[in-house]
Amino acid sequence: MAADVKKGIDTTKNPIPFEMAQVPGPEQAKCFMPKVMGAIIKKAKRPLLVVGAELFDDPIMFDKMIEMGKMGIPIAATAHSVKGFVDRGYMENVYQIGLHPLTNYLRFPDWKGLDGQGQYDAVIFMGIFYKFANAMFATLKNFNRDIKRISVDRYYHINANMTFGNMAFNANDYHAAVDEVIAAMKK
Amino acid sequence: MATKEGSFSVEDMKNVQINIGAVVKEADEWDQEMGPFPKPGVATLRDWDYKIMNRYKIMYAPADDTCTLCTYGPCDLTGNKKGACGIDQAGACGKIVLIACLMGCCAHAAHGRHLYHWCLDKFGDMKFDMGDEILVDSPLYQTIIGKKPKTLKDFDEGLAYLEEEVVQLVASTHTGQEGYFMDFESKALHTGMMDDLGMEICDLLQIVAYDMPRGAADAPLIEIGMGTLDQNKGVLIAYGHNLAAGAEAMIYAENNNLWDKVDIGGVCCTAFDLTRITETGRDSKVPKNLGPKAKIAGAMGWWRKMVRAGVMDCVMVDEQCVYCDVLGDAQMRKIPVIATTDKIMLGLPDRTNDPVDQIVEDLVSFKMPGVAVLDPTKAGEIGIRVAIAVKPKRAEAKIQNLITAEQFKEGVEKCTTCNECAFVCPPHIRISDLIAEAKKGNLEAFSSMYEICVGCGRCEQSCPQGINILDLFEYANRQYVKNQKFRMRAGRGPARDTEIRAVGMPIVMGTIPGVIALVGCSNYPKGTKECYDIAKEFVDRGYIVVTSGCMAMDMSLYTDADGKTIWEQYGGGFDGRNICNTGSCVANANIMGAAIKVATIFARRNHRANFDDIADYILNKVGACGIAWGAYSQKAASIATGCNRLGIPVVVQPHSVMYRRSFMGRADKPEDWMTIDARDGSLQQVEPAPEAMLYIAETKEEAMLEMAKLCFRPSDNSIGRGIKLTHYCDISMKYFGKLPDDWHLFVRDVKDLPLVYKEDMLKTLEEKYGWKIDWKAKKILSGPLRPADVSFDPTLIARKIRTKK
Repeated sequence: MAADVKKGIDTTKNPIPFEMAQVPGPEQAKCFMPKVMGAIIKKAKRPLLVVGAELFDDPIMFDKMIEMGKMGIPIAATAHSVKGFVDRGYMENVYQIGLHPLTNYLRFPDWKGLDGQGQYDAVIFMGIFYKFANAMFATLKNFNRDIKRISVDRYYHINANMTFGNMAFNANDYHAAVDEVIAAMKK
Repeated sequence: MATKEGSFSVEDMKNVQINIGAVVKEADEWDQEMGPFPKPGVATLRDWDYKIMNRYKIMYAPADDTCTLCTYGPCDLTGNKKGACGIDQAGACGKIVLIACLMGCCAHAAHGRHLYHWCLDKFGDMKFDMGDEILVDSPLYQTIIGKKPKTLKDFDEGLAYLEEEVVQLVASTHTGQEGYFMDFESKALHTGMMDDLGMEICDLLQIVAYDMPRGAADAPLIEIGMGTLDQNKGVLIAYGHNLAAGAEAMIYAENNNLWDKVDIGGVCCTAFDLTRITETGRDSKVPKNLGPKAKIAGAMGWWRKMVRAGVMDCVMVDEQCVYCDVLGDAQMRKIPVIATTDKIMLGLPDRTNDPVDQIVEDLVSFKMPGVAVLDPTKAGEIGIRVAIAVKPKRAEAKIQNLITAEQFKEGVEKCTTCNECAFVCPPHIRISDLIAEAKKGNLEAFSSMYEICVGCGRCEQSCPQGINILDLFEYANRQYVKNQKFRMRAGRGPARDTEIRAVGMPIVMGTIPGVIALVGCSNYPKGTKECYDIAKEFVDRGYIVVTSGCMAMDMSLYTDADGKTIWEQYGGGFDGRNICNTGSCVANANIMGAAIKVATIFARRNHRANFDDIADYILNKVGACGIAWGAYSQKAASIATGCNRLGIPVVVQPHSVMYRRSFMGRADKPEDWMTIDARDGSLQQVEPAPEAMLYIAETKEEAMLEMAKLCFRPSDNSIGRGIKLTHYCDISMKYFGKLPDDWHLFVRDVKDLPLVYKEDMLKTLEEKYGWKIDWKAKKILSGPLRPADVSFDPTLIARKIRTKK
């Protein structure tokens, strides 16, 4: 309906951890609408997009990530996801690094970043094996709270600051939500 | 008064009572002096631990932001806040890690203690003899305790030491005791070392008592898979880790000529140890060549699939890795259960002292769903007799082992696609998609996911429609189960000294690119085939591949184009292009033992009570890397931590974040990689090799790349470094489509460069990294962290400096 289209995809529904028992404690992520997410990412001074191998299960997401990369956000390609970028001929600001060593570096304020320009102020996770992403968010949540933890994945990520609700079973809505994030970043 | 070692005078002494403890006479029998750290206490090796932890920073991923261990709690520790007792989040994580490692260590140590008593009771004391080709016969025991056991009874000293350490370690976890995270981790590393010791004692006891292979590269090929269990016989399953009762069942079957009436299959590590019994043909009180008569039904991850597949008539459980609902699952299908150790009694009545005939009657007539019988001999006899007698009774009772086509259809029709099951599935199988395909008559989706399902059964509990999802999997894979028949090599035990002599130099120089150890359980992120894929990648590349436990079993379920399993494709030696099955979970100790043997046999380092020296050697010179891809248990946490203290890095799968702690280096911090050159005590920055001690990989592709990288060592010569870099770069090109971003860190000289990439790499070094290249001479003039130097003798231990500058 026209009203819904104007409002955009509701990404605040189903705030349940994708692995239901992942309920760590009193501080839990809030769900946000795509436009807000996009605006917050845009506002970040040193954002880092962190993508994982689940992108291979939904290859269109590589194109969306490349679109974000072209807007100047560096991409940390974890696991073997860098192959998706190689295959698409986009390596401009793509770095190959495992999520585990990356998070290890992120927890230290004195790290200079993948480009040597300094620590990041926001990380945006997507396409990463759920339990792994959840745990690495937990590391940052507990040991480096200066970095904003954002998930634009199709899962509710309880250890993030900002996340979508669960959209794991509705690919179309999820794709549209990511498009709205990108559109908001372009504004 | 003492005059010299081994003698004393009692002249002029009155009213003196002399207590003689252990008699020390090792000096005459061992060419090594006693090292600095015999039976190290909780804090003895703390300096070594801090060396590891200062380089490999402790990284926590808390699974819980609260602490609920005392009545002050719950305390919110989010953001590393302190709780009421003063412990912060890092300390709380460290405490949980230590407790987990202690659980694992105790599981192995208690197994060893049980076997110690059982073997002495059954066989009496025996000479500890590993044969002529294994003279360094107890490398961990000797490195930690500083003594050589001569008989089985001698192992009591090691067990008693271990037990005392464990009590001290457990005590430190009480609220109000240890509170600093690094000291928790030092204690966890100590626990890991205790675990190594416990595992070694356990495996050595059973190798000698049950006459198992002693480093036999040609250990027999044995049958594995559900399809190997002969359904025309009574099928007894021995499930767990302790062979005592299962072995007694085999001996009973042998002595009473019952093999035509009964089949014995093992699940989890008991399976391995049963198939290792009496294979050397030495003197033994157990019938000869018994082992290969047992079969490996499967790894622990297949347990519930086996129950649903209806392949068993009776089950004996012993200890470790047994699903807690084994009785309920069995009872539904009228499969009698016999609990055989006091570790797992399942609420069953203890019938140890009742007559065998009465127990058999009660189980066969289904008067009781199960019994606890803590005498292995009695349990073994009962297991065999019940399996044989209950089979026709189960047939008469018309037990429905398998669902019908109609029931399958009803099951799939009930699905409302609510996806509650997907929210709890560890490998994230979209079960509703499989069901949607099944509704259309296509079972392929269910078939292809069978190996990926870890068999946890959480989906069934979450399903609001009560669909028995594992039954649907079974229905769709019935033919596969029947055909699940493969062959794998029986556990061969330790590496022989001769094998170590042959490979020591190539390992340390790097010309054998590394030793890869695949160990662990069955909680894989993407199925059992990954075990085969990883193993094959590294065997094909010429690494020494060793394996054990459930991962060894799971890699056996796949074949090449010629129908050969990995065991039929390659030899079983401790050598490049071989795959070497050491045995069960406790046989992991043989892998650590092999690393020690490289130091002591090849490099002639004194290992006696000299743990940190040996670990330092391994860290700097032995390119070994473990992978626990399906690790699920606290034992796996403890094993990995034990490897880490010994200087062996480990890669784990993404589910392993539940262990909470990892050890990660920072390649960007030069000061972390300063290493002593033992020749003169000078400090040298080395490349980050190995870069991490405990690394979590997201996918098998990432794991393989990291494993290749974690085999780099500062001691590699140029040929070896070139070989290692070649594999690192090849794996990256194969699975990542590009060279890794950090390859240049490992280049010290032009000779280190892989031939195939040499020209391009030289250009990149000049253009991207600003190195100076003499193109005519094809030489690197400046740029590397350090020059290649074959004489470089890297160490982190100051006492190893030979001549001070």
